[in-house]
Parts: sequence; structure tokens; C-alpha cells
Amino acid sequence: MKLRSFAGFVGPSVFLMLALLALPMLMTVVLSMRNCALEMELVTVQQTGPFGAHEVTTQRAKVDASGQAVQTCQWVGLEYYRKVLGLEKPAAGAGGTAGAAGAVPSPAGQPTEFFSALRFTLLYVAATTPFVLGGGLALALAMNRVTQRLKAVFIAASLLPFIITPVVGALAIKWLFRDNGLVPHVLGGMGIEVFWMAQAWSAQLLVILYGIWHVLPFAFIVFYAGLQGVPQDALEAATIDGATNGQKLRYVTLPHLMPLVVFVLMMHLMDAYRVFEPVMVLTQGAFTTSVQYLTYHVLLQEDNPYKASAASVLTIIGIALLLIPLLRKTWREQRQGH
Amino acid sequence: MRKSPLGQTLLYAGLAVWLVLAALPVLWTVVISLRTYVDAFSAPLKWLAPITLENYRGLWIDREFYRNFYNTAIVTLGTVCISLTVGCLAGYALSRYRGSLGFWLLIIALVFRALPHSTLLPSFHALFDAMGIRNTTITLIFVLVAINQPFTIWMLRSFFVNIPQELDEAAMVDGCTRLQAFRRVIIPVMWPGVVTTGLFSFLLAYNDFMLSSALTNADKMTMPAAIAGAITAESDALLMQGVAGAVSITIPLIILVALFQKQIVSGLTQGAVKG
Repeated sequence: MKLRSFAGFVGPSVFLMLALLALPMLMTVVLSMRNCALEMELVTVQQTGPFGAHEVTTQRAKVDASGQAVQTCQWVGLEYYRKVLGLEKPAAGAGGTAGAAGAVPSPAGQPTEFFSALRFTLLYVAATTPFVLGGGLALALAMNRVTQRLKAVFIAASLLPFIITPVVGALAIKWLFRDNGLVPHVLGGMGIEVFWMAQAWSAQLLVILYGIWHVLPFAFIVFYAGLQGVPQDALEAATIDGATNGQKLRYVTLPHLMPLVVFVLMMHLMDAYRVFEPVMVLTQGAFTTSVQYLTYHVLLQEDNPYKASAASVLTIIGIALLLIPLLRKTWREQRQGH
Repeated sequence: MRKSPLGQTLLYAGLAVWLVLAALPVLWTVVISLRTYVDAFSAPLKWLAPITLENYRGLWIDREFYRNFYNTAIVTLGTVCISLTVGCLAGYALSRYRGSLGFWLLIIALVFRALPHSTLLPSFHALFDAMGIRNTTITLIFVLVAINQPFTIWMLRSFFVNIPQELDEAAMVDGCTRLQAFRRVIIPVMWPGVVTTGLFSFLLAYNDFMLSSALTNADKMTMPAAIAGAITAESDALLMQGVAGAVSITIPLIILVALFQKQIVSGLTQGAVKG
């Protein structure tokens, strides 16, 4: 294929990615070093009511001739990075909070918003990964021995947690573990009483449980498909040589599955770093928070796009570091492929 | 293979446990969606309770959930159609072009594939507010298409690679242009791959919560964004309508699995086989 027609074919796709992914990414970097605030003015308004007229003095946003609110913008350098990273005490009124309205002053004693978000994100990644890989593998091996008729049912039911809308899945778990929900009731019958969403450890455990529940089917399906391709003659040869089941698994099956394990691991690392919905739904950021949640929260609840941008840039740096091994692997494979 | 009865029992017991764990959250949500609040979260828990459709009635009629359903339908359909059109062109070209530009494009797409979506939101707000297109369905569709592109072109490319080049060459010898060869010869052969990729585009658009909730107001919201209120629902009725909403969102997905299980499984494994 010639370069010209290649450019024509990929054009629309590349344009969309440039306009809606690359450009916004660059804009985020710019936004993170700026701060805009509405210019406010004091006005005295005459109000006429049923009990006569009186004057009220209020603050309101200045508007220009066309009715647009006047904003003053300035470069603030790395100020918001310092704020998000907790490198300075949030000085009262420094730089003015963006958007004026709704900007909640960040509570004292929470100097490291980003680090606590990053810490839980990494905890989530680390805690879910072994269960996703191990559970998926165990399930695939078990399924491989089930009679054909039952397989379709098992696979269909297993797909459900994976394709379910994440918000809905997280809500379903939340309602299951809620006070007076099914799980506390059953555990209560065994004498265990836990208020799942009322303390840090159980809330975090719940988010992690959700993560395993949600992603395990993906690992399972991929591994199960991989098991169908294990060379049968190698397995038979091993049996004739007197290998036990464990040895066959260790020396024939697992080496065959290794590329798939790496694939699932990479996918899961990428997706787990983005954990958002369970954090949002299960605890609303109370005992758990994640890097995606932080940006979302700062943008929509604190209404501060500049600080949110700083958090975004830090998030992107984080994923970039995480991606390096994956990129190197793909790099090598694609180079060989060409 | 030798089969010990004990081993078989353990095997099926283990699988049964997983089956319960996988299905229980959804099943229990269905059960409580058919109850009043008092029965749904009573102490002690009730295994059986009178069935009522009140929650669904409140949700779909009083709270006009059909509007959100309509929004979801439009957004999902639009995203799938545009994603596939744009993605097929790019995926095909990437499978046929031998230069290093294609390689770089794939690497960059992979980087975007890993990008946490919330990092784009501040810029989206600034950009779309400035252009006055923030709260529109079409904006949401194009954002979803763009976010979906990296995945779509990787997947479609891996399907196109399996189609022998001789096929398009033969068509071009017979007088087709490149575009005609693509449209008349390759796409018909590619159909299973297009359907599979379309399913995953569908899931991404249908399941999205963050973008819809951040970019659209209540009247334009998709279903997942609309039921987010149930997270912190203040009244019991509102909470139960959220439960009914959760079930309503899940039903189309269950139908999807029932119809397209094979394609979903093949799609999940497609990327894996190619590495």
C-alpha cells in the first residue's frame, strides 16, 4: 500500500485521536499551570417588594458588553502541583480559588491528596493482580475438565460480571454488603459483624473484591481459550514418560500459557490503574480514593479545572512509567513482525 | 485421563461456588428490585417477600427513565457506527501498509489505550465550553468514538491481518480501486471481525459512566450516569428506583451475552492470540 492511500485511510481515525485525545492532553498541561478567576464586583441593587423598596448590596460576577463573565487568568507555574502533592500548606486565598463558587477549601490534615490516591490505586493493582491471574487460571483448568454440555452455561454466567456496567456492578455489591443487606445477614448468622462501608479496611477490601469479581472472568476466558491450544501430543508424551498431573501442568501447560499470562497481566495493570467506579460508588472517596477519582472529584466537586489538570498530568506521568515494559514488549514484537 | 470421584466432586463444588459468586450480586439485585424498601433491607433479612413492580413504575414513568434509555440508545448506536466506519478504514490500512509510520501509529494508539479517561475531562470542559458544544449528544458520541479508536484499530487490524493480501490484489487487478477493493471484497469477508469489534464498541459506550456524567446535564444523560443518584439516594423510594434502574440497565446486557457469547469470547481471545 502506498503512503498516500495509507494516509487517506487512516486520516479520519488519526484526526479524531489528535483532536480529542492528543490535543486535550496537551491542553491539560497548559491548564495545570494556569488559574482563572471570575472578576467580582460589589453592586447595589434596588429591590422593590410589597413592603416598599430597599437597597441590597451583593457580590456578583462582572460581565462585559456581550454578557459574558469577565475572567482574569494568570500563569501560576507549579503552584497547583505543589498543592496536589501536598508540598505546601494550602495558604488561605493564595492565587484565588478557581471558578469562585463552590470551591471547597481542602481540609487541613490532608496534605497529600495525590499520594493517598496513588497509594490506594497501587494497593488495588497489587492486591487484585494475583487473584485475577491465579483465579482465572484455576477456573480455566477446572473448566477444561467439565463435560461439554455444562461449559456454555458456565461461560455465559462467568461473562456476566465482566460485561456488566461497572457502576451497576459496584452498586450491586454495595447493596449486597449494605447494613441489613444479604452478606451482613449471612455473616451475622455466623457471629461475624462488620459494617462494611463504615471503616477503612473493610471499605478498601470491598473495592478490591469488586475488582477481582469484575476482571477474573476476562483472565478465565483468555486462559481457557489458551488451554485449547496446548499441544496434546506433548501431554501424551509426558504421560508415557510417567509425569504426574502436577508435572504436566508445570512443564507443558504453563509454559504454553505464559504469553497469555503476560497479556492478561499487562491489560490488567492498565485497567486497574484506572480504577474509578467502585471507588466512586462504594465509598465516594471516603476511605478509598484513586488517581482517576481524584481528578474527577477535583473537577466536578471542587469545581477547579486547574487543580484537576495538575492531578491529571501527574496521573499521566504515573501511567507512562507503568507502561514502559509493555511498550518495550510490543516494540520488539512489532519490529519482528515487520 | 483418570477421574477420581473425590476430585470430580471438588471440581464441581469449586465451580458451583464461582457460579454463585459471579451471579449472586446481579440475582440479588433483581430480587430486591421487586420489593418495597422495607422488605428489601429489613432486619432480619427476608428471603421471601411480596412482589411489586412499584419501583419500576416510579422509575420509568414518574422519573421518565425512558428518556435516559433513549439517550443511551442514540449514544451507543452512534458510537458503534462511527467507530466501526473510521476504525475499519484505519485497521485495514494498518494491516496492509509496510512503512514504519504504521508501526508508530500503533504504538501511539497503545499509549492512548492506557490513558485514564478522567485526565481528559478538564480540557474537555474548557474546550467544549468555549465552543458551546458541551451538553450535546453528538459531542459525547465523538468523545466516545475517539476514546474507543485505539482499541478498535488494534482489534480490527488483527482481524484484517488474517485476510490474505492476494484477495485485494486480485480485486485491484480486476480494475477495482483500493477503496472499492476494501468495500466490495474485504469487508464482506471481514464481517465476523466487524461484528465482534462492534460488540466491544457497544459495551464501551453502553457502560460508560464517567464521560456522560461529566459532559452532559440531566436531560442528555445516559442510563448509567442517570442512576448515579442512587449512590447517595436520600429517600427510600429514590434508592429503590436506583435498584430498578440497575436491573433495567443490565437486562439488555444479558440478552447481548445470550445472543453473542461466541463473538464476545472470540473478541477477548483475539488480542491475546496476537499478543
